[in-house]
Amino acid sequence: MAVPKRKMSRASTRARRAQWKATPPTLVKTIEGGKVVYSLPHRAKVVEDSAGTPLYLEYKGRKVADV
Amino acid sequence: MPKPTKGPRLGGGPAHERLLLANLAAALFTHKSIKTTETKAKRLRPVAERLITFAKRGDLHARRRVLAVIGDKGVVHELFTQIAPLVAERDGGYTRITKLGFRKGDNAPMVQIELVLEPVNAKPRAKAETKKPKAAPVEDVVEESAEVPAEDAPAEDVPVADAAAEASAEAVETEEAPVEADVVEIERAEEAEAADEAADADSEVAGDSDK
Repeated sequence: MAVPKRKMSRASTRARRAQWKATPPTLVKTIEGGKVVYSLPHRAKVVEDSAGTPLYLEYKGRKVADV
Repeated sequence: MPKPTKGPRLGGGPAHERLLLANLAAALFTHKSIKTTETKAKRLRPVAERLITFAKRGDLHARRRVLAVIGDKGVVHELFTQIAPLVAERDGGYTRITKLGFRKGDNAPMVQIELVLEPVNAKPRAKAETKKPKAAPVEDVVEESAEVPAEDAPAEDVPVADAAAEASAEAVETEEAPVEADVVEIERAEEAEAADEAADADSEVAGDSDK
């Protein structure tokens, strides 16, 4: 089995980890009921009643699935 | 023909993927709408639509080819007798995939894949309706452009009309005259049109009509 010959230095470990970058998701901005809402594009949204209880998932005005 | 998939199979191998997709297709035809991961749904779509195409063909050979994929005769019967007539008018695109969100356990993107069983939407008709209003203004423009020269014309048409009256008078005298008169009228009409285009020629046309 191949085994590393030397201990990996702190600098090279940190240099590798510095390349891990999180990318922000692309969001769409919509205005629903006077509020600005950011959401993922092309994704069904949860429809809630006035008490905040989730009812069903909706996409393009069509009920898609139950929550 | 579905495009062959590149990369690793779903499940443990090619046979596992075939079984997995066959079971997913059977579940889709049973329940009309199933929730699964995005990867599986995208692999399932061509398989299921191909089976529906067989179902639309509807003969015994097609039924046996579907049975080679889906073993359950009850599901195949339902596919051929209930689903196929509903999509008879539809030219492909029998399934709809809607993204739902991410699964709690492994954050896998989940989708809802469903059969599109609604009657075919009359999209071409909507296009025709949009075209008609567009076409009408164009015709109006043409008519207006035709009317504009016609309004300019009358002053110049008067001598031509006089010539026509003279030609009719000549026609009374001789039988050969009408042909000549027609020729003269055509020539003068052409001259009048030319006059429409070039206002400078008005005096010349008037002089010709006087002759």
